[in-house]
Amino acid sequence: MMMTNPNDDMLDDLFATARAGARTPGDDLTARVLADAQTEQDNFAPLSRAKPPSLWFMMKDALGGWPALSGLAAAMVAGVWIGVAPPNAVQDLTAGLLGDEVSVGLMPLSYGFETGAFIDG
Amino acid sequence: MAIGLAHSLMTLPSDPFADASDEALLVAYANGDRQAAAHLTARLLPRVLGQATRMLAHAAEAEDVAQDAMMRLWKIAPVWRQGEAQVSTWLYRVVANLCTDRLRKRGRAMPLDQVAEPMDGAPSALAGMQTQMRMTALSDALSQLPERQAQAVSLRHLEGLANPEIAQIMDISVRSVESLTARGKRALANVLAGRKAELGYDDDEPE
Repeated sequence: MMMTNPNDDMLDDLFATARAGARTPGDDLTARVLADAQTEQDNFAPLSRAKPPSLWFMMKDALGGWPALSGLAAAMVAGVWIGVAPPNAVQDLTAGLLGDEVSVGLMPLSYGFETGAFIDG
Repeated sequence: MAIGLAHSLMTLPSDPFADASDEALLVAYANGDRQAAAHLTARLLPRVLGQATRMLAHAAEAEDVAQDAMMRLWKIAPVWRQGEAQVSTWLYRVVANLCTDRLRKRGRAMPLDQVAEPMDGAPSALAGMQTQMRMTALSDALSQLPERQAQAVSLRHLEGLANPEIAQIMDISVRSVESLTARGKRALANVLAGRKAELGYDDDEPE
């Protein structure tokens, strides 16, 4: 294709000229771009930079909100009251289940200290 | 003021972002970091402006496109999906699309005042005017092409990118890139064929 070669030369020269032409952004363009960036950032920053929720809020949320909390508060008051002035039925129940005197061993017996398994010869 | 701002962009003290990727900077920007935008602008704006200038051959239009492209970057920052695309690839696509939009709207005749704006670094006013005329002719010729051809040709021949990268930018196969650039270049040569003399390619001497 003899006819297209000169055109290709022209095109290649045009491409090369275009590639060689670099432009440094002027300061007003840079300033405009930075101003845009600032404006945009101010628009979405409150969302993405919101403070993490407080511990109180997270607990309330985990328990199920205010209705759950009011029930929890009522149960707590009742518990305190039962501790201060236990009704007879409660006293009888605990006595029946645990006995009047309760002793709790801190060391389980099954470890073998009693049987002398750890005493050499 | 002009030099001062550019200078301050170049020499931000104790630069914690120097080794950060574009993507990391974009995330920092989205998280409210005040310096990240300056770093991203210093890194990306020159290339964005260069691409727009090469496609449009018009200083003011290219600046508008560059600002618009950067605006789109700021806007997408909070929802940027990490690891999916490189910021530079994404920007190439945005600028190419914005430029072909402009080219489509551009009429055949360019206003005269646009020819009078010489590109930076012109050796002389006369040579600068011829260079500007040639670049305008190239840009006008691009506007005559189907958009995808114009984008492929400009990414290949004006940006000097490799076909696989262009394929990524345009989200098509490498084979499609080859086909688009070949057809686009042929179409460009046809459009410009009638303007050889006018553009100073008439004689046998180079330039």
